Amino acid sequence: MEFEPTIVSFLCNWCSYTGADLAGTSRMKYAHNVRVIRVMCSGRVEPTFVFKAFREGADGVLICGCHPGDCHYHEGNYKCLRRYHLIKKYLDQMGIEQDRLRLAWISASEGKQFAELADEMTETIKSLGPCKVKNVMETLT
Amino acid sequence: MANEKPKLKVAIYWGAACGGCCVSVLDVHEKLFDVVAAADLVFWPIALDFKYKDVEAMPDKHIDVTLYNGAVRNSENEHIAKLLRQKSKIMVAYGSCAHMGGIPGLANFTTKEDLFKRVYEETESTVNPDKVRPVPKYKVPEGELELPEFYNDVRALDQVVDVDYYLPGCPPQTERFVEVFMAIVTGAELPPPGSVVGANEKTLCDECERKQTENKLIKEFKRPWEIQDDGETCFLEQGVICMGPATRGGCGARCIEGNAPCRGCYGPPSTSPDPGAKMMSAIATMIDSNEEDEITTIVDQIADPAGTFYRFSLPGSIFRRKLFEKE
Amino acid sequence: MEEVRIGVYVCWCGSNIAKMVDVEEVSREVEKLPGVVIAKDYKYMCSDPGQDLIIQDIKKHNLNRVVVSACSPRIHELTFRKALENAGLNQYMFEMANIREHVSWVHTDRAEATKKAKTLVAGAINRVKWHESLDKRHVDIDPATLIIGGGISGISAALEIANAGKQVYLVEKADKIGGYVAKLDLTFPHMYSGKDMIQPKIDKVMNHEKIEVFLNSMIDEVFGYVGNFEATVKAKDEKEIKFGNVIVATGLKPFDPSGIDNYQYGKLPDIITSLELEEMFINGQVTKKDGTIPKNIALIHCVGSRNTNYHEYCSRTCCMSALKYANQLRSALPESNIFNIYADIRAFGKGCEEFYTNTSKKNVMFLMYDQQNDLPKIKKAGTGDNCDMIIEMNEKLSGEAIEVPADMVVLMVGMKAHENAKEIAHAVGISMCGNEFYIERHPKLDPVATTTDGVYIVGTCQSPKDIPDSVTQANAAAARVLATINVAHMEVEVTTAVVNEDVCCGCQTCINVCPYTAISYDEEKNVSVVNEILCKGCGTCGSACPTGAIRSRHFTDEQILSQIEGLMSMQLQI
Repeated sequence: MEFEPTIVSFLCNWCSYTGADLAGTSRMKYAHNVRVIRVMCSGRVEPTFVFKAFREGADGVLICGCHPGDCHYHEGNYKCLRRYHLIKKYLDQMGIEQDRLRLAWISASEGKQFAELADEMTETIKSLGPCKVKNVMETLT
Repeated sequence: MANEKPKLKVAIYWGAACGGCCVSVLDVHEKLFDVVAAADLVFWPIALDFKYKDVEAMPDKHIDVTLYNGAVRNSENEHIAKLLRQKSKIMVAYGSCAHMGGIPGLANFTTKEDLFKRVYEETESTVNPDKVRPVPKYKVPEGELELPEFYNDVRALDQVVDVDYYLPGCPPQTERFVEVFMAIVTGAELPPPGSVVGANEKTLCDECERKQTENKLIKEFKRPWEIQDDGETCFLEQGVICMGPATRGGCGARCIEGNAPCRGCYGPPSTSPDPGAKMMSAIATMIDSNEEDEITTIVDQIADPAGTFYRFSLPGSIFRRKLFEKE
Repeated sequence: MEEVRIGVYVCWCGSNIAKMVDVEEVSREVEKLPGVVIAKDYKYMCSDPGQDLIIQDIKKHNLNRVVVSACSPRIHELTFRKALENAGLNQYMFEMANIREHVSWVHTDRAEATKKAKTLVAGAINRVKWHESLDKRHVDIDPATLIIGGGISGISAALEIANAGKQVYLVEKADKIGGYVAKLDLTFPHMYSGKDMIQPKIDKVMNHEKIEVFLNSMIDEVFGYVGNFEATVKAKDEKEIKFGNVIVATGLKPFDPSGIDNYQYGKLPDIITSLELEEMFINGQVTKKDGTIPKNIALIHCVGSRNTNYHEYCSRTCCMSALKYANQLRSALPESNIFNIYADIRAFGKGCEEFYTNTSKKNVMFLMYDQQNDLPKIKKAGTGDNCDMIIEMNEKLSGEAIEVPADMVVLMVGMKAHENAKEIAHAVGISMCGNEFYIERHPKLDPVATTTDGVYIVGTCQSPKDIPDSVTQANAAAARVLATINVAHMEVEVTTAVVNEDVCCGCQTCINVCPYTAISYDEEKNVSVVNEILCKGCGTCGSACPTGAIRSRHFTDEQILSQIEGLMSMQLQI
């Protein structure tokens, strides 16, 4: 059976979640692998959430916020951007492929872009294969 | 003296440890008399001659308090941890290694195979043409020799047995140990099992004497030797990563008083689901740039995020260890 | 902690969800999860009987948490929260799982969609366990209103509110109010004069005792929250103002056609925009640059509109304006040939289709082109041609390639959002669609409000529209504002950040993080303090806090981490 990854995604309420809703109201079709968690701002997303998702078995983590300059809370998405780069460096040190984490900007009108992103991310993760964090945790001596 | 309270039976054990924790117990100096007056040391391999079989012979819950320091690194550590758990009423994870994995836990960045290769084949002082490595069982004419099995992964104590209390620090401050010990001796009400004792709920900044302001915007991360420290300004405000904000106080800010930034040995407060992630988030937030290129340049100045934010806590973190291809 | 008793309700949304998700299976499976007392599926959860079902169950089964698995929380979260409140439960003991917009409408494999729905519901169930009761906060409403923009929309709203006796501050960037309507000669379809129509309103605004007009002025940041905003008006003299509501009426910017190569705007002399033609009418003379009368005039529709290279949307007014010009030109220059080069005629407004019919009887030539793929091309005429320019086009109805003579070409330029739209969006805290028009709270059911309480959008800053639509929207917003002023207080969200003083170490990392200066440092206690009135609940400080002392209410670590756990546990179980 083909590997079907699970991608946990954190979407900001104002732009990205609305964009994902728009993909729905426009009846766009995309991969079923993305599971959305709503936060008010991408600035709320902290490393713990990303680590926890991998720890629980996610194969990829997608964070979406408003485009730079368009954050509903002015600069929350920049805070997210700063954390994103540090998290990526840390993931790499921990032996987790950096491509398993992605940050993208999706505006409220970008339903199509969200659908495409979900497909793209799913493909990326499929090519990386399953993330082994959870399995390794369960077999620690 | 029939009314006299029976003495506490205390055991102290070191797993994968440097010995510093045991020394911190000895550091009680003349207070040792109070300790000995209140307690019988029934097992303490570093200081007193007992055999494992003496412990094995004890009835269950015979020991009142065990202070286990060091991480769990091999089968011997694990066996004794389980044995002491069975024989003890109260199990205390003593020091950073038992608490979160500690410095030995940094071995989780590598594998048993890589470690053995380095130690038994590659180090500059090694002469081992036959590439002999330790094996758990080895037959000699006199019989079978047994060595503990070296594990691939380092674990904190609570990843092996149930732990009642954690007394953090590398090593714990002796004064705090005495406080906790005396509390147990005097029968003071103990906090709920699972609590961290001998450390503050508030993090180090609360007791730090350096000047704190809101000016925590960092354009360049620096190593301690790269700054002209004035001895007064918050390290973070000078661009030096200090784990103080995310690390429990109670140590007396000794590193800071020695003009070194906090490295995090006392571990995070109870509000942190992961020992390093909150500080990682805070540090990233302090980066003073909204430009992606500049942000990555600044992030790159943090040479070793994993080793910085999880110096004492890698096995106790969400990921616990680095992943390797073959796994 | 009290025993958690969760009720889960899986909505069919008619067939919207049920067609792609096996709602019965979802409800059957999640009922087995710890904490779930009862799980049901129902045709329309948002209907009155659907809500009643929840209310009855809360009472009958002593539920203290509710999960509804249905559409987007952006649509019905408030509906269900009210239902909880009606049943005597705190409204925050509720969580929604979005299995319509994020599942049934976007997936095609029923088994996978059902599986995904289960994981989302399991996530919501796990999250709601950590929900806590939060109290609503009541705030008083300052009766003054700030209106940004003095065009027809801003003016209409200002008069409506001021005439009800309430103070209005009208801030206009230009040196006079009146906007584009004041620059219109005639308006379709009745051919009233724009100027004459708006001038009396301008006079009323300028002299109204309840309206303070600030010309040549801008607002750079609005502080506070619904009912209690404040801002500094930036002008020659700065002034602090306080107000309870904001109406944004920043209007439009005409599309600049210089970027469309085919149309040669700025390169050939007598190619002008519709606005430039309007000016000619106001000045009473339609002439070429050389002062002569154009013999052939072409009006090209949809310039910058309905084409993905420029703007995908329809600007809604250009068709009718072009017909208006055809009429005006027909009377002003009876000898000239008039060509309307159009894509589709959109004549949807009241009296507009009739206007189109009448115009088509006035010796005006209508030629159709393909505005998606095949724009007409304007070129300089040759010496032998009896005109200045030639427009080459493929006429869609006849299917023939033709050349249209022209001495003047009028480009019917579309509408864009105002160049300050972005700045204003930041100042007042509202969002924009990709094309910089502001987003309404609900496209159908709440088109004048925004997702920021107390901020309304009217006129062309929301989307291209004509005068009657702008005025309608302005008056609607005014009515909304007057209603809140009348009630004098309202409930606001309390999902703010809060500092646990027993943990906060006083490091002050959070203070610079807050865009609303809601966090300050209490020196005496050595802790940070959140001003819950200024806090807008973004949660960024919570994620910046190194100790975990800051909790983002309703988005706490426990809630999100256990939602992740729930999401993944179900995933692996199945």
